[in-house]
Amino acid sequence: MAAILEAQAPMRAGTLLRERTRRTLLVWCFLVPSLAIFLIYRIIPLAWNVILSFEYWTPLRPAEFAGLDHYQDLLDDEVFWQALWNTVMVIASAPIGIAIALALALLVNSDIRGRDVYRTIIFLSYPLMTVAVAIIWRWMFDERVGLINYTARLLNLIDKPIPFLNSFTFALPSVIAANIWQMLGFYMIILLTGLQNIPHELHEAAAIDGASLWQRFWRITLPLLRPSVFLAFVIGMLNSVTSFDLVYVMTGGGPGRATEILVTYIYKLGFGQTKFDYAAAVTVVFFVLLIGIAWGANRLSGGDAGAVDTQ
Amino acid sequence: MMRRNPRWPIHAALIVVSVIMLVPFYWVLKTSLSGENIYAYPPSIIPKSPNLFYYVDVWYSIPFARYFLNSVAVSAIAVAANVVFNAMAGYALTRSFAGKGLVILLFLSCMMVPFQATIIPAYLITGKLGLLDSWLGLALPQCSTIICIFVFKASFEAVPPSLIDAARIDGLSEWGIIWRVMMPLAKSAVATNVILSFIWSWNNFLWPLIMTRTPEMQTLPLGLARFLSYQEDTTGALYAFCIMVLAPGLLLFLMAQKEFIQGLTSGATKG
Repeated sequence: MAAILEAQAPMRAGTLLRERTRRTLLVWCFLVPSLAIFLIYRIIPLAWNVILSFEYWTPLRPAEFAGLDHYQDLLDDEVFWQALWNTVMVIASAPIGIAIALALALLVNSDIRGRDVYRTIIFLSYPLMTVAVAIIWRWMFDERVGLINYTARLLNLIDKPIPFLNSFTFALPSVIAANIWQMLGFYMIILLTGLQNIPHELHEAAAIDGASLWQRFWRITLPLLRPSVFLAFVIGMLNSVTSFDLVYVMTGGGPGRATEILVTYIYKLGFGQTKFDYAAAVTVVFFVLLIGIAWGANRLSGGDAGAVDTQ
Repeated sequence: MMRRNPRWPIHAALIVVSVIMLVPFYWVLKTSLSGENIYAYPPSIIPKSPNLFYYVDVWYSIPFARYFLNSVAVSAIAVAANVVFNAMAGYALTRSFAGKGLVILLFLSCMMVPFQATIIPAYLITGKLGLLDSWLGLALPQCSTIICIFVFKASFEAVPPSLIDAARIDGLSEWGIIWRVMMPLAKSAVATNVILSFIWSWNNFLWPLIMTRTPEMQTLPLGLARFLSYQEDTTGALYAFCIMVLAPGLLLFLMAQKEFIQGLTSGATKG
């Protein structure tokens, strides 16, 4: 009996090994479709973009090495600096939305009647098509019969209607307001999840020790909420720089270049003027900016926020 | 109970916010139903002689059915591909294999690359694949989503290993395990995948804007933006079109908001 088992052992080890290779192979097969899509639409484009930014290239012509020429051109390109500034402004507005959303999350988290209804209403704008949202807000901001001008005139806040989207001062803030309106519910849901993960005992213990509501917010809620705030910020940042749809439909980047952001500029350079190589250089700067801000936000939030277990 | 704070300030604040969230919808709906000149001042708060004239106008003045068909086809491809590919990848990530850490790292870094930062090469690649101006080309970049892969991974990890072993002993292949054991147990992950991938592809604007060339391939968001550029804001039909485009997304959201919110938060906090 023992002899038979021993004789079988090497063979079984052999099949086991083969079985294991087969399974590993299968696991990779399962990963192939997703990996292929990310390779084609994330990794390769990223690398191609960098290469393109160092070349002179127009469709149907051989590429020529350009060195840093495109980057040098960027330095003198006023539109680029304007678009960069506007993009930074849009990103910098994300904390405003997050602060409002945090207040709302705290309110909705208290056990009041009808909080599910409030939550649904506040979240309603997030899943909507951004192009339609942009048209809605164009109409709200309309100079002649927009609701905002009408209300402000009714309350005697202004004498003359403000042409929000045609004004150099108000165009960008108007687009940002529409963006916050759409993202508010999303931020709120992320922060609400974070709030619900804070153990109740902490608040109770602090309350027994005599900490006021205000102290408990600053000492317990906010520190423990840091990962959620970071997450909301990164997603909000990615979402607001991608507010291409809003800008394109609400203002088209105008008046002048008052609402031009990097994405709309890249689009215009690439698909309006077929300057793919120069647009690629703008894209590289844009991407470096995003990574830099995400890295900075991560450092600010304590370094390990957003870390995911890789097991 | 004695030191309970009054509730009315909370309600008051939330009602103000709710009004701000809802009024824009109302304003557009009112305009789309209005029977009068939409530029009359002062604007009426309640539509005068409401009718559906503008909706009929939209139906006859643009190929609404064609846009709708394109949007549905592209979304259907994206949703089907997302469920299948993400389930496969999510299942793979529950197994241990050489290079797994690397794959996860790759997925997480891809999440930091917004699609908008890749549009130029993505357009050139799609051109090389010969997929410009086609349903498949419109759907392809969205055929797998990292957040949704992690939603499936989390949900598959909750399946007891003994169940999987039993299925394996019964002679089920890995493929069979995914579809016959895992998927029926991961209904909420499937719902999350369907809803998120539908919303993302239904609302997508930049990609169709870049890669469609013929009017026959335009999707609803593109049709809406084009309609705006021909008509400016001068007609109520624009707002009727807006409502017609928003309605499906709103309905889907109201029907499945629980899964939607759950999916977003689980995906966002886990991925």
